[in-house]
Amino acid sequence: MSTPDAPRGRGTFLADVRRRRAATRGRGRRIRNLFGMLRPYRGRLVLLGIALLLSTGAMLAPAPLVQRAVDDGLADGDLDALTTLVVAFVVISLIGLVASMALARLVGWLGARLLSDLRERIFRHLLTMPVAYHERQRAGVLVSRMTNDVDALQQMISSSLVTLVQSLLLLAGSIVILLTLDVKLALITFTTIPVLLIGSLAFRLASVDAFARTRETIGAITAHLQETLSGVRVIRSYGRERAHLDRFTELGDDNRAANMKTVYLNAAYFPAVEYLSTAAIVIVLLVGGHEAIAGAVTIGVLVGFVTALDNFFGPITDLSNVYTTFQSGMAALDKIGDLLEQESTLTDPEHPVAVPSPLRGELRFDHVTFSYGATKAGVTATTVLDDVDLVIPAGATVALVGATGAGKSTIAKLATRFADPTEGRVLLDGVDLRDLRQNDLRSRMGIVPQEGYLFSGTVAENIAFGRIGATREEVEDAVDRIGAREILDALPRGLDTTVGERGTSLSAGQRQLVAFARALIAGTPADRAGGDDEAQRTLHRGIGGPAILVLDEATANVDLRTERRIEEALATLLEGRTAIVIAHRLSTIRTADLIVVVDRGRVVESGSHEELLQQGGAYATLHRDWQHGTEDAAAALP
Amino acid sequence: MGTFRRLLGFLRPYRRLWAVSFVLALLAMGVTVLSPALIGHAIDRIRDGDKGGLTEFAVALALLGIGRMVLTIGRRLVAGRVSLGVEQDLRDRLYGHLQALDLGFFDRWQTGQLMSRATVDLSAVRFFLGYGLVFVVQSLLTVVLAAIAMTIQQPLLALACLVPAPLIVFVGHAYGVRGRPAQQDAQQAVAEVTASAEESISGIRVVKAFAAEDRRQEAFGEAVEHAFQKQLRAVRIDASFQPVVQFLPQISLAIVLLVGGRMVVDDTISLGQFTAFFVYVMMLVQPLRSLGVMLGLGQRATASGARLFQVLDRAPDIVAPEGAALRTLPLATEGAAIGAVEFDDVTLRYPDQDTPALSDVSVSVLAGERVAIVGQTGSGKTALVQLLPRLYDPERGRVLIDGVDVRDLDPTALRHEIAIIDDDPFLFTATVAENIAYAAPGATRAEIEGAARRARAHEFVTELPDGYDTVVGERGLTLSGGQRQRLAIARALLAGPAPGTAERPGDAGQGPRILVLDDATSNVDASTEQEITAGLREVMRGRTTLVIAHRLSTVLLADRVVVLHQGRVADVGTHQDLVERSELYREIVTYGMADQVFLSREDRPTEVQEA
Repeated sequence: MSTPDAPRGRGTFLADVRRRRAATRGRGRRIRNLFGMLRPYRGRLVLLGIALLLSTGAMLAPAPLVQRAVDDGLADGDLDALTTLVVAFVVISLIGLVASMALARLVGWLGARLLSDLRERIFRHLLTMPVAYHERQRAGVLVSRMTNDVDALQQMISSSLVTLVQSLLLLAGSIVILLTLDVKLALITFTTIPVLLIGSLAFRLASVDAFARTRETIGAITAHLQETLSGVRVIRSYGRERAHLDRFTELGDDNRAANMKTVYLNAAYFPAVEYLSTAAIVIVLLVGGHEAIAGAVTIGVLVGFVTALDNFFGPITDLSNVYTTFQSGMAALDKIGDLLEQESTLTDPEHPVAVPSPLRGELRFDHVTFSYGATKAGVTATTVLDDVDLVIPAGATVALVGATGAGKSTIAKLATRFADPTEGRVLLDGVDLRDLRQNDLRSRMGIVPQEGYLFSGTVAENIAFGRIGATREEVEDAVDRIGAREILDALPRGLDTTVGERGTSLSAGQRQLVAFARALIAGTPADRAGGDDEAQRTLHRGIGGPAILVLDEATANVDLRTERRIEEALATLLEGRTAIVIAHRLSTIRTADLIVVVDRGRVVESGSHEELLQQGGAYATLHRDWQHGTEDAAAALP
Repeated sequence: MGTFRRLLGFLRPYRRLWAVSFVLALLAMGVTVLSPALIGHAIDRIRDGDKGGLTEFAVALALLGIGRMVLTIGRRLVAGRVSLGVEQDLRDRLYGHLQALDLGFFDRWQTGQLMSRATVDLSAVRFFLGYGLVFVVQSLLTVVLAAIAMTIQQPLLALACLVPAPLIVFVGHAYGVRGRPAQQDAQQAVAEVTASAEESISGIRVVKAFAAEDRRQEAFGEAVEHAFQKQLRAVRIDASFQPVVQFLPQISLAIVLLVGGRMVVDDTISLGQFTAFFVYVMMLVQPLRSLGVMLGLGQRATASGARLFQVLDRAPDIVAPEGAALRTLPLATEGAAIGAVEFDDVTLRYPDQDTPALSDVSVSVLAGERVAIVGQTGSGKTALVQLLPRLYDPERGRVLIDGVDVRDLDPTALRHEIAIIDDDPFLFTATVAENIAYAAPGATRAEIEGAARRARAHEFVTELPDGYDTVVGERGLTLSGGQRQRLAIARALLAGPAPGTAERPGDAGQGPRILVLDDATSNVDASTEQEITAGLREVMRGRTTLVIAHRLSTVLLADRVVVLHQGRVADVGTHQDLVERSELYREIVTYGMADQVFLSREDRPTEVQEA
């Protein structure tokens, strides 16, 4: 585990500074944006400011009070004056108590509110990002933006930011109090400031890299842990727990070494600051003492000074403490900012066109070209689809067939507008898909991805996921129509069986059937199919469901006898709808109205099964390969 | 309290260092509580106009400061070491425990929930045990030592000053009672937010496919709002206690002014003593303030600790037998084949499931025999093979390998005897070579390539950007299902040659004696499949093989077929026998197997952006 460390010679210092400045570019704007999110809570912010001032004021009160008590009360033996001062002090303290309570509540409220809002905003943003973006990013990384990074920000805002402001106020207040008590003594005290500043700066510079290293190493630990949890089955199967434990210990050692460095730094810095405050008291006592003996200052002033120094050095230590939390908070803000500033390339039009009604369901690829990486300078674009011209007639089933990476999935992606063509247009009943709202388009479609991803909840809930407001009857009906009744009823609690995280408690075949039922329920309910629209009703023969179906056929996820159910279910799904199927089963391909053979991004052949076999082209070759592979199997059949 | 005491148990290995750090803190604080007295004396010297005396006390104060600095540096270095050690121990303990837990546990727990325990909760605990506790001890020491110093100098005034002290203890306790459950609730609610987010983001395709963005957003919003309310409750409790803890020392200051002031006027105490008292109480403000903060951290840590113990207290169901119960498998000998498997009247029920996955299953597999398992979805095929490496234990019945109950074997040794090829193989974020050598870390590059060739993976591997050094897996290059399966076959091949089949003498008995295949060839096209079948024949050679078959071509690789139906054995026999006598089997074979994969799926690897 070696992270490439930049060479840290003296010559690289400027480069280092530049790198740091570049890394923090845009922070000001991001911080402004973050605080912009507080705008709706302005009232609370104002109250927070007031509470902060009052509580800080109360903290500063003891020094001037004791000075007055000593000089006015004790020196003169004036007990009444003393009592008045004590009463004033108690009143101020009570105000401070109430203010601190209000402050803690307000800060807690605003912090939690702001971060809740931010979580929802990140989530909403992620949902609007195109599928291509999610294919490149790992879910775990994105989720940690919403959790770990937001947590770090919350730490920064609710504790560090208040400490920062309060420390600065205390420091400023103490300086004023010291100057008011005695200018000469105050100025002598302030001579410690340059020493403090230089020391703090050195500490800060030294700790930036040390703390960055601790964050890196803890990140590596988290990543390793995540992977171990995902791969736990393999680890168990091969009995390799020991190796993973060793690796984990190694990562732990790295983290420990990085942390040890920060321990050394802290051990050097904080006791030194502490000593400086003692030194300041010694100086005040010596210099001030001689002055007092000479009668130039009162003893009360000296006592007040000693008291006030506490409020002078305390905040400086606090500020250095805050710096660490600040660092990780700012790093988190950077990561969140980067995420939120990524703009979705797939947006809804400003003036969306309504989905044509009645929807016939004709899909047309008009000279469509699609390539990756075209936007990045210096990167040659990889063309995935090259000038594809294709008409999928309304109600027809089209099977996409082709060798590895030919571009079948891309055609399906373009049809569902999970991606936009680089050139050309995709039209639904003559309307460019980019003129429709994505949700309007997709709510008329049934989509079955290859792996049947399910959400935690029951089987019934997952099927109902297909459409907002789907009723239990519709769910039951969909299950019956795809012929999954027997298999799903056999589950421990039938349709009310909990599917577990990502549907893991169901078998792949069961998941596939649930995904089918889910797709069938999308679109219009059966009894309202077409509504008053006679043409629509005729078109879909009153069966309801999605007008268009896009299906990435599972390869072998469905096993044995379930296979027959799937075939029947597929027939139900395809009937009366425009369907694009990325086909793997010959039975599906045979029954398709049109077979489109894709090769290296181009449509090379299209026609029916028989037509293509007769042509003796690419399709015929693929078919021959398959036949060869199943010859043995066919021979063994009864 | 139980949780807290158990957390303290993590400090036990560092008792000695802790003691050193405690003594250093004690000394540092002992030195510190002398300073107010010195300041008081200095003030009295000033009042008396005694310049020499003033200088003496000032120098003493400066020397005291140096002593304190040295002691504090020492204390920080020792305490830092303890804190980092505890942190690593905690993490290793949790990780080790997760490695020991059975798969049933991972079926029940969401990954997000486990991750939040391993990160957020763990850091709360280690922060408190590492730093918080030191602060608490140091703060308490300051309070106690200052109280002693004050009592020595002026008992009456000290008593008056310390009136609020019991109140602080009382407030702290009350806070503990109310704050802990609130914190725990809030942390649980945040973990639910994580789980909700993870699910939607992982299933983003489905969310978009069904235009369900708004619905998912709403559900997420509810989770966030729930967490917000829970956090708010914790904040409110915090806000009513912390400021009180900070306020109480102010009362002491007032008492010093009022009572102490009168004593000065009465000449009971000197002005210097009065000043000393004032500075003492000032000195208490900071420790009491951090005591309040640390009490909060302690609450959080205890709440987090409880969540950690939920995992740590879950005893692994599957453990190695101890002592005399521990047995080993017989080794291969000349003429006696090994690898016989027997499922003896086995019933398996998955956690939280009512119906058993397997009921009264009895199957005998001869050494070296190849048995295909067929059946409908949910008929218990996977459940059956998972019993063999003890990924689960049966509720009733026994599983025997060469006559030995698998529960009498060391699980790691047992699993070394079984090679598994999943239908959806998982690859780690590591190079292709490392993934192939997963079961045999010492393998040479030549051996790795040899295995890859036999699994028909060599060709595509050499076309990857860095060949065998290409990083694949979750944070690397994504491979297609077919490619991953071929790597899984290579991985299984490299686990070692089958016992008794090695070309060179002396190699016998090294590799796994049993192979478990979960229709590993299902995700590839017809042309590739033929190649893989050749590779499979090679892994099977000389090994007892259990194969979950989804296709006729796979079934035909087997000597016998076991037909499962609803968790029970419906029939056992050769393919020919079953075709003749079992209607269920005929149905399965006719409708389920003939026409599966016609053409390939996307086989092109996609570049994955580094996170």
